[in-house]
Amino acid sequence: MTEFVTNKINPHVLPNLHIWGWDVAIYLFLGGIAGGLLIISSAMILLQKGGIFNPSERVEEYNKQIQIASLLAPVVLGAGMFFLFLDLEFKTHVWRFYTHFNLTSPMSWGSWALLIFFPFSVFQAIVVCRFSSKPSFLFLARWEKLLEPYLNKIAAVNVHVGMGIGVYTGILLSTYYARPLWSNTVLGFVFLLSGISSAAALLLLIAPSREKQFYTKIDMYIIAAEGFATTLFILGGVTGTESMKNAMFYLIAGPYAAWFWILFVLSGLIIPLILETLEAIGKIRFSPLVPLLVLVGSISLRFIIVYAGQDVPTFA
Amino acid sequence: MAQVNRRQFLKISSAFLASSAAAGMGWPLISQSSDAQEVLGPDRIVPTTCEICFWRCGVDAYVRDEKVYKLAGHQHHPLSNGKLCPRGNGGHGLLYDPNRLKHPLIREVINGKEQFRKASWEEAISLIAERFQQITDQYGTESIVMFSHGFGASFFKKLFSAYGIHTFSAPSYAQCRGPRSEAFKLTFGHSIGSPEGLDIANSKYLVLLGSHLGENMHNTVVQDFSTALSRGCEVVVVDPRFSVAASKAKYWLPIKPGTDVALLRAWIHILLKEKIYDVDFIEQNAVGLDELWDGVKYATPERTYALTGVPVDQIVQVARDLGRYGSSALIHPGRHVTWYGDDTQRERAIAILNALVGNYRMPGGIIKQEKFTPIQATLNQKKFKPYKGDFPVTRNAGHTFQSKYPFASKIPANEIVNRTISADPYPIKSWFVYGTNLIQSLGDQPGTLEALRKLDFMVAVDVLPAEITGYADVVLPECTYLERYDDLDNRSYRTPYVAIRQPAVSPLYDSKPGHEIARLLSRKMGLSDLFKDEIETYLDKQLKPMGSSLDELKKAGVLKVGETKLYRQPGEVLRFKTPSGKIELASQRLEAAGFDAVPQYQPPPENPPGYFRLLYGRAPMHTFGRTANNRVLGELMPENELWVNQIAGNDMKLKHGEYVYLVNQDGVKSQTKIKIKLTQRIRPDAVYMVHGFGHTDPRLEFAYQRGVNSSDMITSLSIDPIMGGTGMNNNFVTFTRS
Amino acid sequence: MSRKRNYAMVIDTKVCVGCSACVYACKAENNVPEGFCRDWIEEKTEGHFPELTMTIRSNRCQHCEVAPCVTYCPTGSSHYGRDGTVQIDRDWCTGCKACLAACPYDARYIHPKGYADKCSFCQHRLKQGLEPACVTTCPTSALNLVDLNSNDGVFGQLIEGREVLKDKVHAGTRPKLFWLH
Repeated sequence: MTEFVTNKINPHVLPNLHIWGWDVAIYLFLGGIAGGLLIISSAMILLQKGGIFNPSERVEEYNKQIQIASLLAPVVLGAGMFFLFLDLEFKTHVWRFYTHFNLTSPMSWGSWALLIFFPFSVFQAIVVCRFSSKPSFLFLARWEKLLEPYLNKIAAVNVHVGMGIGVYTGILLSTYYARPLWSNTVLGFVFLLSGISSAAALLLLIAPSREKQFYTKIDMYIIAAEGFATTLFILGGVTGTESMKNAMFYLIAGPYAAWFWILFVLSGLIIPLILETLEAIGKIRFSPLVPLLVLVGSISLRFIIVYAGQDVPTFA
Repeated sequence: MAQVNRRQFLKISSAFLASSAAAGMGWPLISQSSDAQEVLGPDRIVPTTCEICFWRCGVDAYVRDEKVYKLAGHQHHPLSNGKLCPRGNGGHGLLYDPNRLKHPLIREVINGKEQFRKASWEEAISLIAERFQQITDQYGTESIVMFSHGFGASFFKKLFSAYGIHTFSAPSYAQCRGPRSEAFKLTFGHSIGSPEGLDIANSKYLVLLGSHLGENMHNTVVQDFSTALSRGCEVVVVDPRFSVAASKAKYWLPIKPGTDVALLRAWIHILLKEKIYDVDFIEQNAVGLDELWDGVKYATPERTYALTGVPVDQIVQVARDLGRYGSSALIHPGRHVTWYGDDTQRERAIAILNALVGNYRMPGGIIKQEKFTPIQATLNQKKFKPYKGDFPVTRNAGHTFQSKYPFASKIPANEIVNRTISADPYPIKSWFVYGTNLIQSLGDQPGTLEALRKLDFMVAVDVLPAEITGYADVVLPECTYLERYDDLDNRSYRTPYVAIRQPAVSPLYDSKPGHEIARLLSRKMGLSDLFKDEIETYLDKQLKPMGSSLDELKKAGVLKVGETKLYRQPGEVLRFKTPSGKIELASQRLEAAGFDAVPQYQPPPENPPGYFRLLYGRAPMHTFGRTANNRVLGELMPENELWVNQIAGNDMKLKHGEYVYLVNQDGVKSQTKIKIKLTQRIRPDAVYMVHGFGHTDPRLEFAYQRGVNSSDMITSLSIDPIMGGTGMNNNFVTFTRS
Repeated sequence: MSRKRNYAMVIDTKVCVGCSACVYACKAENNVPEGFCRDWIEEKTEGHFPELTMTIRSNRCQHCEVAPCVTYCPTGSSHYGRDGTVQIDRDWCTGCKACLAACPYDARYIHPKGYADKCSFCQHRLKQGLEPACVTTCPTSALNLVDLNSNDGVFGQLIEGREVLKDKVHAGTRPKLFWLH
């Protein structure tokens, strides 16, 4: 029998950490989608006509989905950044991220990476959106002309930047070994895949019906991979140190278990996977419900991990 | 000086910037400022004397922008040695308490409702003088009494003595240390004093009975306790609760509450039977050994186990340890010792045990303390003469207060309460209450309230609107210890000293220091000869004969001499101020007055079924109710909790952390709720709370209704027939949720 | 150039009574706002009545030699002082709370003004040749500031013959609070 009494009065530290809330969870969600959108759109640019396999061809009009994805990526990330900014306790010092670089700080990497993400994703959007054809955006025509020859290079960079941002949302948490639930390298991979699948789901939702099957397939494969990654994430936890094990059991069998299993695993992974498989092989008709489930599961994952990760006792 | 250091540091730090940053594997892209944050230091440091409790440590008040922002132990004061307890550290919480009494108040009936109205000092003082005159004319000065706690009361005592008021009482006697004083006087011829003349630091074997050192946080005592522990002192703690001290102990004896005398008698029994007491010392210096043995003959460990629940082997082991450690063993007599009504006899047993181990004036035992001699001469002998004229006795009371308790050397406060109610042998019509919240400190609250109703006139002098001030006709706001001078502190101690209390900042609001209030009163009471000198002149005049001056003491804070002759020399002949001139193991004086010459065991009342014995004590961050409204201190302990044994609590279906009301054996329900703490750290038959919470005066905005006031539940007082002490631990409570 | 110091604290749990004088002294000295603390008391009781043991200790920032807060601070606000302490530069802190998440000892909090805050070993006092406020006030002398780079023998004397524990050593932080048992 152990009685533990402390007079530590600091709020948000005891009885458990509570420093990051909904705004961070939303940032992680939006950051993941932004990364996913950039990955998908850049990959499509690279793989389609005019891409790296037949670079000599010029694409007159890019696929609408590529345009939307390219345009949304920086916008969504910007929105995510806004939520991250909301979380800062000393907002007027936000510029301090750029007066220092700390090699060992993921957050430092993350903030500098934004300096690549934003210009490059915007460059891509300028080219693929063909603003020159829209009278009110004519001022961008010069940029479009200037950047177009480099589109494949820009897209190649963007695939990696997208991956980086996607992984980063997980790494941000998983490097804190003081927080045993987060302290799990697979988390970065889970968040990356979840981000790509969310992006695919988003595109699926807005895609014209003839293209839906394409995104369904992407989403289906990514969700399958995400399921594997999640399994590894759980295994990594339960086979870890005592702290990690307790933390993982807190997630999968504790107060968050229902949320985790039902909201994320069941309705965010398993059900969409089954339905998307059936959709892909044409057994059932496309339903907007499926991508919505994926998106809800994805945002739930961020909330559950952010909150449960702080609830579990500090590394002991 | 500090600033110079800082400049130097800044220079060096910039040189080291690169390397320190690299250690973090980072590269600042613009140059970083110094790594230190600006922390402002004090404008001045004022040495003074603390009064958050009554130990009187020397403190340094750190003042910045005319605000005291920090208090620290004074380096050279022998009671603090540069260190300070948590309460002292939070003294500024009293100074800046927004609920302080801010101006004089007079009770008046307005629209048929009694209420206080703001008054001027002139008006309030005149009213007191006038009413005292009326009461004196009608009943004599004996019907005015003064209650006080704290040495700020000295000016009022001088004033009232001159006026012919002689009934002074403090709850620190019959509600606290009284039984200890009388027991040690009966045994050794002198009391143990305060600060206690105990050489704890050098003790090799320390027995604590209910003394929760470390939670009872008298600075120097805890310093000494720590020193003893560091030097390998073995500690035995006899306490129904696993106190902090118990956690440091070799043996914790969770005794059945109220059976301490039985345990002490068993130890005496074993020491005598096995002849492991200090035979030579007792032979030379004590009388009554044979009667003592007759008295404890049957107090065998086996019988004692049945009474106390302390296992036989532990009883025997401790007794043999006492014999083995001999004069370096100390059985601590405690401080707040009014528990079961047998307290003088329990303290007698403790005194006898200390005598038997032979620790009298030996390292680690009972030591002799002295006053700072130069000022002692000044005060009591010729040089003090100029002041005698200042305190003339203008009239004598018709009666003097004769306690009905034969060994009460001071007036038990509860006896005044009883006589106020009974008006026997003469009426008591007025109370002057200085700095003591009688409502919380006396126990038997209904009795106190009844007495208050009998009064014609009552004055309260206080810093805070403690409950008692709510019953006063006139309330005078005194400023805190950080805003005033008081008399010099000059008590007996192992390193005799004289220390000053001086203002660190000017009085806030319309409050005044006690000396000024007494002076104003003296003028209105027709005693203009009193307090002729301003306070600073008065203090300076006392210090001059010592070769010092007020200016010097204001800077130094304290004057002290080295340790006196604490220990006896080999072959030194000891004289005791008892009738026999020796230590009285059996007391003829007690016997003559009809009491046991040797302490006998009286079983305490048993718990009614379903009830728990209520025990109370202290927390390190509070001084009873005096600090409950202190927002600085209250931050870490805003309320008290009721400790209930985990298993007993489960049986009662109590939940850890829930709030309940208490009901005692007389059916009295607590006015407030208390939080349950289920713990392994207490016996199943007792509950424990820290005293001083559960304030019911809404003017104490922070403390109001936080926790339960233990005195609320203490309606049954077990009066010690020897000296009138009020045993408070024979009360029992149970729980109710509504 | 003066010798480089490496401050640490040796805390004697045998004499600590958990009175919290250290907490109050720290709060006054460092103007720690209401509702926050840089140091605190922990009381751990084990066993069943009446076989009980209790450990009491005064706790605070460990001033790790490999401090996760410094590792993860994106702006360099959390940094190693040149005296072996870990310090925070308020002007550089964005309040991102990475350090709070990173600290295995939960020693930090966010100051109402927005920056991360914690025990500094009273760096401003060290520079004046004074000990930290908690050490100075501690009635039991349980708290001792030591310079691990010094050869004055103080550290050795304090730990001689004692069981010395450090908190969460397996975190690899090389903490510098030494607990004597």
